[in-house]
Amino acid sequence: MCRTAFFLAPLIALVFGLLVWPMCVLGYASARVSPGGSGPGLTWARYREIFSDPYYRESLVHSLVLSLAVAAASTLFSLAPAWLLARHEFWGQRLMRLVFSLPMSLSGIMVGFLAVVMLGRVGFVPQLLQKLTGGDWLSGSAYQLTGLVIAYLYFEIPRAVLALEAPLRKLDPQWDMAARSLGASAWQRFSWVTLPLIAPALWSTFTLAFSVSLGSFGVALILSRRFSVLPLELFHQFTAMSNTPLAAAMAVVLAMVALFLHLAGAGLVERRRR
Amino acid sequence: MILAAPFAVIAAASILNTSFLGISTEQWSGESGSGWFTFHWFGYVWDLYRESLGFSIKLALLSVAGGLLIGVPGGYALAASRHWSLRFIEALVMLPLALPGIALSVGLIQAYSFVRGSWWLILAGHVLYTLPFIVRLVTSSLRSIRLDELEMCARGLGAGPWKRFAWIILPTLRHEMILGSLLIFAVSWGEFNVSFLLNTPLHQTYPAALYATYTSNSVQVAGAATVLFLAVLLPALWIIQSYGVSRECSVEQGA
Repeated sequence: MCRTAFFLAPLIALVFGLLVWPMCVLGYASARVSPGGSGPGLTWARYREIFSDPYYRESLVHSLVLSLAVAAASTLFSLAPAWLLARHEFWGQRLMRLVFSLPMSLSGIMVGFLAVVMLGRVGFVPQLLQKLTGGDWLSGSAYQLTGLVIAYLYFEIPRAVLALEAPLRKLDPQWDMAARSLGASAWQRFSWVTLPLIAPALWSTFTLAFSVSLGSFGVALILSRRFSVLPLELFHQFTAMSNTPLAAAMAVVLAMVALFLHLAGAGLVERRRR
Repeated sequence: MILAAPFAVIAAASILNTSFLGISTEQWSGESGSGWFTFHWFGYVWDLYRESLGFSIKLALLSVAGGLLIGVPGGYALAASRHWSLRFIEALVMLPLALPGIALSVGLIQAYSFVRGSWWLILAGHVLYTLPFIVRLVTSSLRSIRLDELEMCARGLGAGPWKRFAWIILPTLRHEMILGSLLIFAVSWGEFNVSFLLNTPLHQTYPAALYATYTSNSVQVAGAATVLFLAVLLPALWIIQSYGVSRECSVEQGA
């Protein structure tokens, strides 16, 4: 026990010093009546502001809807490539996996930049389409909701593929064979055998994609013109407006949503395992 | 493969735009060199952002050191004991992956406003954010072997806790330590969400410098800066992939 404590002490100190304590300070800063002053008393005013002010509420709703949609879509779209990577050996597999692992350390700003290069006002794709068809297609779509969704999917799908690959690899092919020997069709095998077995993995992939999208603000920082998301709003409040208490409240809201989904995901996976 | 195609196109486009002039770059900026290739912009980027490049490399290396010094012993302790309080600690250690990076950084600034302006806070954010990767690798590896039997054997032969850690645990974990170091390096190198608000005028991470280029420089400069970024990242990711897959390690996918 003494040894455990010794090996663990730096880790515990770090986590409490850099995670737990800052989060407590954040909560306090968001609710303190007089920011910076020494006056006592706590208030819900900033939270009320986030939920009642139309602009902030809209950012929050945008964040939630965008993250939900992107998470659902990327989980769905990642199934086939993950299956391919997990079950088949083919030439270029390693390269494919390398490309898929890029977004892990590709920050959102770079994805935003790629979107501008590809879909900006004089982006690569619109120029190409104009050369081919003569029409003005997709020009500047990077700055609209379409571009934002495409950019989010661009870094969420590969992440989801790699997250799903390991569970798919662990899936015992004998289940599938047993179902086939009982005369189940491909669709029946998928929906009654494979799907229930990978459901926890799908759910945790979904929650991962959701929390990544929720926290990402680099893409929106580059691309967003009128469409605001909460992390971007937080950034503006903190830097341009210097409204630290409101920024702190927004950070708490974001963290709470992410935490709730994270715990729900962990709880569900845990229950399935028993 | 259909999914991979746009990646290849975009990656190619972002590189081609930097050295080939003629796809659509002239419309973005009036400057156009003579000939198809020019490496002029790489020199320009190097002069402009050399310092943030060096700073980001330093941060990444320090994060690796932090991960090895704190994460490996910590992960070992977490895996060796089954006490309920340690499950709680482990959940806390993994938490930064689930939380929005910008919330973490605002919290760090609020809690440690007295050191704002020094780069220690950036390092703190990076270490906090990269630790889960190595801790997960260490715990899942040690849980898949019979750790207690190994330790019992060593104890029977008279090895103390330090000896057991140095001669049994560390050699067992050598692959995880290599893989974890590379992962930490790659993640820290590209980290933007946590460190952007923590940046100071004097100390800018390379991704923050990239943001500056994307918003204010021509496509050639931005492209060259991106290629430099990828030139550091891709080798690390390549080794991670070949190494991790051959060892059947599943790489944690964090936020």
